[in-house]
Amino acid sequence: MTDFNRRQFMGTGILAGTAMITPDMALAGASPAGWAAAVADVEADVPEEALTLVSGKVPAGLNATLYRNGPAKFRRGDSAAGHWFDGDGLVRKFRVRDGKATLAAHFVDTPKRRLETKLNAIVQPGFGTPNRAGSVVNGPDDANAANTSVMVSGGQLLALWEGGSPVMLDLETLETKGFKTFRRDLKQMPFLAHPRIEPDGTVWNLGGNGKGTFVWKLNPDGSLASAQMVPLDRNSYFHDFTATSRHIIIVMQPWVQDGLKFPLSTAMSWKPELGTRVLVIDKNDLSKRREFELPAFAFFHLADGWEEKDGTIRFDGCLEADPTFGQRAASALLRGEHIKSPAPMLTQIVLRPDGKAEMQTTRISAEFPTNDKRVAGQSRRYTTHVTGYGLTPFPHAIATWDWSKGHDDRFNFGDHQLTEEFLFVANGEDERDGWLMGTTLNLKSHRTELHLLDAKRVADGPVATWQASIPLPLTFHGTIA
Amino acid sequence: MNNCKSILTALAMAGASFSAAAVAQNAGSSLTVNFTGIEEKQGAILGVLVDSEAAYDGKAAPVRPLMVTADKAEVAAMVDGLAPGIYAIKLFHDVDGDGKMNTNPYGMPVEPFAFSNNAQGNMGPAKWADAKFEVKAGANTHSITIK
Repeated sequence: MTDFNRRQFMGTGILAGTAMITPDMALAGASPAGWAAAVADVEADVPEEALTLVSGKVPAGLNATLYRNGPAKFRRGDSAAGHWFDGDGLVRKFRVRDGKATLAAHFVDTPKRRLETKLNAIVQPGFGTPNRAGSVVNGPDDANAANTSVMVSGGQLLALWEGGSPVMLDLETLETKGFKTFRRDLKQMPFLAHPRIEPDGTVWNLGGNGKGTFVWKLNPDGSLASAQMVPLDRNSYFHDFTATSRHIIIVMQPWVQDGLKFPLSTAMSWKPELGTRVLVIDKNDLSKRREFELPAFAFFHLADGWEEKDGTIRFDGCLEADPTFGQRAASALLRGEHIKSPAPMLTQIVLRPDGKAEMQTTRISAEFPTNDKRVAGQSRRYTTHVTGYGLTPFPHAIATWDWSKGHDDRFNFGDHQLTEEFLFVANGEDERDGWLMGTTLNLKSHRTELHLLDAKRVADGPVATWQASIPLPLTFHGTIA
Repeated sequence: MNNCKSILTALAMAGASFSAAAVAQNAGSSLTVNFTGIEEKQGAILGVLVDSEAAYDGKAAPVRPLMVTADKAEVAAMVDGLAPGIYAIKLFHDVDGDGKMNTNPYGMPVEPFAFSNNAQGNMGPAKWADAKFEVKAGANTHSITIK
């Protein structure tokens, strides 16, 4: 057992209750790299604290707030969530202003969290968690974990899940204000955690999969512009989609859902013989659609797309040979087990005007692809992504792939650092004029770190690094405000 | 979800069989139902009072329909001429006053609903066993929170 774990156990008095620690949990705590901290429980909100600058210099004039969301409570009593995607969302606010950085974090106050706190048990169903005795589900928002991402739309901070409504949070205090209903008849409609936001603030999003998906369009002021069901002829599971300035692009992987049962993942099966289909829908007329065929792959995340003059569409994603990660490995994480799954590979998908589609792999393992949001939907050259998998189930490096030169500008934080999504903070006209801002979980110091890198020189490493006083489990996605 | 369909079915039956159910009642027990926690003070509370599991599940006629304007946070409905016995109530808040329990495009109810005893459903309406309550001889009151 590492020093941290001993300290942790003794400091919190958990030692007295060792009978409650299952062998799996003990294994997690004792794993060589201590990576179980990535999926550890946080017991309470984190009051605002000043972060300690541990290296580098804060760029003058930098004023940015990074909101991040991720699951941070998986276990109650002798029960546990069955999947990394099912813990309670903890929204973090990292702010750099006047040369100083602060951190505050608040759990999203959902019906699920309230019920499970009261029962001291994990009972609500999820992606990989069954519904257990005591569960109450009268609508998707009863199971809403609000744990996947955040967005700011019309000045409103929203915590996003994918199966239910966004949750409104106070931009400053992170206090929960309730579920967001865009229109009464759209209460409890699913809203993916991956909205595609045009440079003017117009938001496109999808909700739900099955015989159709719901297409959301929000105005830059956050109000509902339109909402329409679009029929689909395959029940593909999708966590993300993409868009160009003119089209919505839905990638229908052959990971298909048959009916509804809990955990949700048990209703989904991998049918590679079906191949992958890509549906391209005109944003101005959702009935205008084209379909493309690709070989089978599984995926969670895509980056923004764009089109060329001749109508060729390009977008990139992190494609896996099969969905082992989502099906099994991400559940095993909570038991401290590392099940090897196919590495997600950064790949560009090209949809030709003649109806042919192709995939061009970079041969780079990558996840959490992000890009300069000022050029969302338009031609761009770079994709920033986490990489450096191997030792643990989590990435250790951050990199920016140059699609023109075929070069990955990479910085490895080290085996003791688990790397989260990094986002671009602009400071000039060019796609790389600015910084990459993101976080890592330092397993050696057992603290969460905030880093700032020069977007043009990723390999040089952080220009500034701050440490929090505590470790927080890993997040999924965030936004810069 | 089933929830909404069952309630709709029950209400449809209530409407259809209203005249049959509203047979003139002589003096008997009375029941005042207080509806509390109304957030949107508009529309009406629409529900059914039933006296059997079959009626609760929409397979038999309800005893009475319930309908009261929901213009305050707390409103009440009075039913008299009841035979003492076991009853249950299922209702929804018809916020937009269209007489229907509205649903979102995936069929989820978008108007508040509730059951007697404030019984909670799970993947469907609350069960008869959880919603049933006794109406005794004389005056009775029962409170239901709308949420």
